[in-house]
Amino acid sequence: MSNKKIKIDSNIVRLLIILLVFIVLACVTKPSQFIKIANFQTMAKALSEYGLMAVGVGICMISGGIDLSTVYIANLCGILSGLYLQGGGNNAVAVLIALVVGAACGAFNGFLVSYLKIPAMLATLGSYQLFQGIAIVISGGSTVSGIPASFTSFATTALFSYIPLSFVVFVLVCAAMTFVMSKTKFGTRMYLVGTNEKAARFAGIRCNKILIQTYLLSGLISGIAGLLSLARLNSAKADFGSSYTMQCILIAVLGGVNPNGGFGTIPGIAIAVLILQMMSSYLNMFPGVSNYYRNLIWGVALIGVLIMNFILDKRRTQKLSKTS
Amino acid sequence: MNKTFKRMLKQSEFYVFLIIIVFALIIEAKSGLFFTNNNLVDRLRSMIVPSIYALCALLAFVSTGPDVSFPLIGALSSYLAIVITEGLGLAGAPWIVSFLIGTFFGCLMGALNGFIIVKYRFPSLIVTLGTSSIFNGILLGAFEAGRMYLPENLENFARTPLLTVKNAETGLGSTLPMTFLIMVFLYIVAYFVLNKTMVGRGVYAVGGDEVSAERAGFNVKAIRFGVFVVNGGLAAIGGLCYAVQAIRYLPTEYEGAEMEVIAAVILGGTRMTGGVGTLKGCLLGTLLLTMVTNSLIMLGIPIEWQKVFIGAIIIIGTAVSAIQSHAGAKVKTRLKKEAA
Amino acid sequence: MESENILCVKGIKKSFGGVHALKGVDLTIKRGETHCLAGENGCGKSTIIKVISGFYKPDAGSIEVDGKGYPVMTPAEAIKAGIQVIYQDFSVFPNLSVIENLAFNQVLANKKKFVNKKEFRRIAEEAVKKINFDVDLDARVETLPVADKQLIAISRALLDNAKLIIMDEPTTALTKKEVNRLFEIIADLKKSGVTILFVSHKLDEVFEISDSITILRNGENVISCPTSEMTEEKFAYYMTGRHFDTQVEKKTNPDQIGDVVLEAKNLSAPGFENVSFQLRKGEILGVTGQLGSGRTELSLALFGMLKPTGGQILVDGREVKIGSVTAAQKLGIALVPEDRLTEGLFLPQSIMRNNVVSVLDRLANKLGFLSSRKVEEESEKWVKELGVATKDHMLPVQTLSGGNQQKVVLARWLASEPKVLILNGPTVGVDIGAKYDIHNLLRQLAAQGMAILVVSDDTAEVIATCDRAIVMQAGRVTGNLSEKDLNADTLAQAAL
Repeated sequence: MSNKKIKIDSNIVRLLIILLVFIVLACVTKPSQFIKIANFQTMAKALSEYGLMAVGVGICMISGGIDLSTVYIANLCGILSGLYLQGGGNNAVAVLIALVVGAACGAFNGFLVSYLKIPAMLATLGSYQLFQGIAIVISGGSTVSGIPASFTSFATTALFSYIPLSFVVFVLVCAAMTFVMSKTKFGTRMYLVGTNEKAARFAGIRCNKILIQTYLLSGLISGIAGLLSLARLNSAKADFGSSYTMQCILIAVLGGVNPNGGFGTIPGIAIAVLILQMMSSYLNMFPGVSNYYRNLIWGVALIGVLIMNFILDKRRTQKLSKTS
Repeated sequence: MNKTFKRMLKQSEFYVFLIIIVFALIIEAKSGLFFTNNNLVDRLRSMIVPSIYALCALLAFVSTGPDVSFPLIGALSSYLAIVITEGLGLAGAPWIVSFLIGTFFGCLMGALNGFIIVKYRFPSLIVTLGTSSIFNGILLGAFEAGRMYLPENLENFARTPLLTVKNAETGLGSTLPMTFLIMVFLYIVAYFVLNKTMVGRGVYAVGGDEVSAERAGFNVKAIRFGVFVVNGGLAAIGGLCYAVQAIRYLPTEYEGAEMEVIAAVILGGTRMTGGVGTLKGCLLGTLLLTMVTNSLIMLGIPIEWQKVFIGAIIIIGTAVSAIQSHAGAKVKTRLKKEAA
Repeated sequence: MESENILCVKGIKKSFGGVHALKGVDLTIKRGETHCLAGENGCGKSTIIKVISGFYKPDAGSIEVDGKGYPVMTPAEAIKAGIQVIYQDFSVFPNLSVIENLAFNQVLANKKKFVNKKEFRRIAEEAVKKINFDVDLDARVETLPVADKQLIAISRALLDNAKLIIMDEPTTALTKKEVNRLFEIIADLKKSGVTILFVSHKLDEVFEISDSITILRNGENVISCPTSEMTEEKFAYYMTGRHFDTQVEKKTNPDQIGDVVLEAKNLSAPGFENVSFQLRKGEILGVTGQLGSGRTELSLALFGMLKPTGGQILVDGREVKIGSVTAAQKLGIALVPEDRLTEGLFLPQSIMRNNVVSVLDRLANKLGFLSSRKVEEESEKWVKELGVATKDHMLPVQTLSGGNQQKVVLARWLASEPKVLILNGPTVGVDIGAKYDIHNLLRQLAAQGMAILVVSDDTAEVIATCDRAIVMQAGRVTGNLSEKDLNADTLAQAAL
């Protein structure tokens, strides 16, 4: 249907315009630094990790909840795999460990949210302390390092000698999740559970199962992020990247995910990740500007986007009620 | 059995109280160090700042929803208070002047939260996350705040103990700072406002049923806005108390306090969906959580396990309250049937 | 000199975003009478109440209370003039004590800033005394039964020296017993000189309680007259705009009724006990009863949402355990739930998604992948088949009218090709045209061999659509009516 295309596109188009404006601005004001392959490569590497977590947070928000524990699931997975690798473990098994642990943590979140009916925010707030705590206990509170080069080389290798592999992973996960969300019954059900859980139950959707699967997926994706950061930093730590939680929520909302659930797309989240990384790399090009300014800008952006979406939504519903 | 006692049995505060007693007895049995004068003073001391923040969390939950911005409002407004005190040459003025300056800025920041939440009806969690990030950016980016010594007036205030005890056996000493009185004062005021004024009852009414509150004649928007302004002020006081107790201003030490405080308040029986929550519960919840974070070592549990315990307590506490509220719903339908 | 009319509104117009909710409504209520305002859902009843109580500003028209004109009515002025509204949800604070619920309005109206416990208790005691309402004043309201919440609302309204109490659909959430108690209270209030505007669409209640009647339809006055001049036929005609006999459809042809598809044997669950019935292929069975009679619980138990505590359910003669909605679906049982807005629909989602939600399994391949083409075709098919009035099935379902929304919920379940279709309140909040469509559709479906269970408290609906009916009361079956016994009198008798 033509109408559907226009509707989906309007949000993506809006985001693409913001992205484009930003690129133009960066190219005009800082051409020498910005238009460099190395710069794009750095950006691509940096965004993959929190970009993945943002996808996790995003799907949980679509399902009507939120996942505040993604960062700590990633850290826990990184630490476990790191410790295993430190002891001379096999790379494939290390990957498997991270994925299984990530999925298990996610399923645990899902259990809290679905069966125990704890509000997602509080459930994942508690589980994030728990996961972080377990990570501290396991790592003894110190940094896990000394990862074999065979593993960390993943972060330094590039596809066609230009595209960093971690970015390829991000793109693949986004593509897979886009497919899952828009073209499978599981994705459709997730949107419906996020819109109205009670109605979903009456429609024969097994909400608890869908929620557990959603949080499991989020945990799994966080596990992948943990592996990427382990490879990139050659280390893992229980409190690494604590500011990412806020950033992931911001990305999801910026990408068009409705904080009340039921709406949002993966491509939207992916473009929002790009926008955020551009902004942050651009800021880095001003040595006088402290890194901490990013927090300020992100906070303003989050609230600005919320208000913008609010106004646009209002206009759209007004239009709809007039036409019907 | 009398009515009051029966009612007490239904309150989660009562059970938190029981857990605290049991926990204290276990620590005492294991280490013999719980009921010592210096440990008790230390417990009180470690409760001061969290229990001031707990007021913010309580007010926000009861009236609207979660507020996670109070640690950073505390950090930024105490920074401003300290810098302005020094800048205007007020270091010789009474300590309360610096507190008032901080409170003023805290209220302003709270007003920003309140404005956005009330005007656009966004989820308070997302908004306060956003403003936290903004305040953090202003504090560390724009002001490039670093560690600072306190101005003379606050320093003097910090070095005047309210109470000093020394354990005769172990030789360990502990002091209770003057900030304890601030906390007690705030709780007394909060008790009076929440229970004895119509505005205070309005906070509960708005959280219980927004539409009914509007119809009854409460100004719903003003109450919500007011709650966030007050929260800002309370956060500022909490932040300054933190600096006073540390005798330094440590800008990066504030972040992250929100999670534990929220957990404490929920444990104390505050309802996540609004309308229900008591000061008693706040204090008990905070006491329990600070006991867990500070006393594990006395039980011979390594400090690394702290977060695991906190996480477990939050999950168990929220699960119990979630299950209780479901059981409550069932009781309601049963009552309906009995009436039929 | 007291005026004869407590309330006199004339020519009230009000529109929302181009929709004319009120097209010039008049309403005159005499002092001391119990006046009934009736009309189908969406006729403008609640809008006119909000205009009278000052919450909506009318686009045109005049309001006169007790002989005094109000160019602009505000909520505060309305209360001052002695108008009190008791809303359907009773406007109580579930988290606060009965005392506070009773005292807040008055304390706030007096602009008091502080809480005086003694004063609060005095006000509360005064309030409950007005209707001899026996309740624990210190109890939290959420722990009380629904009827008590309503009595709180009534006694609170009386405190403000109410001259006119408007009750908006006050019996919706009450059991028969509670309704009787409410009517006694209304009679007492009338004796003490309070005027009551009773808003309802239930025929029997209107005749039982009111002195005079005003009926609205589509935002316009249809008639105002003393209740004594009204008959049931006329009432139905004025409400619906159609003569009643046109609504009585043909009963099922006995030849089409086949084997027993669904049977309950001494079925019990929280909410009902010992319910037995048989439902045959091609037959429409009614289940009727007041709120709290267990009718909704019965439908939930048959749909796997409520666990039976005893008895048996048989499908096609075999005993089955229905532990989940999925299990019910597999057995070919479908349920159109009672509350369309919260249980039936995903309001902001597209009509398409709402149409196909229950048949996703059929539309997906083995791996769970959906074909957009299949989904769209399926949805378009049902939009066409049931005549859902929309330009585009990609629009949110909340853009549809109540009747069309109900068609979407029906479409979803018809798409799953059920053997047994259970409808709980199939036409609540549905306009007359769509109601007629839905009733006809049920007939057609039965003729095609579907077994249908209509759960409804609307006696007229049960008489018009069902072949047989069982009547429930307080969780038990109190009547089992065959086609020839099925009429308003027998239904009323069984429900007592």
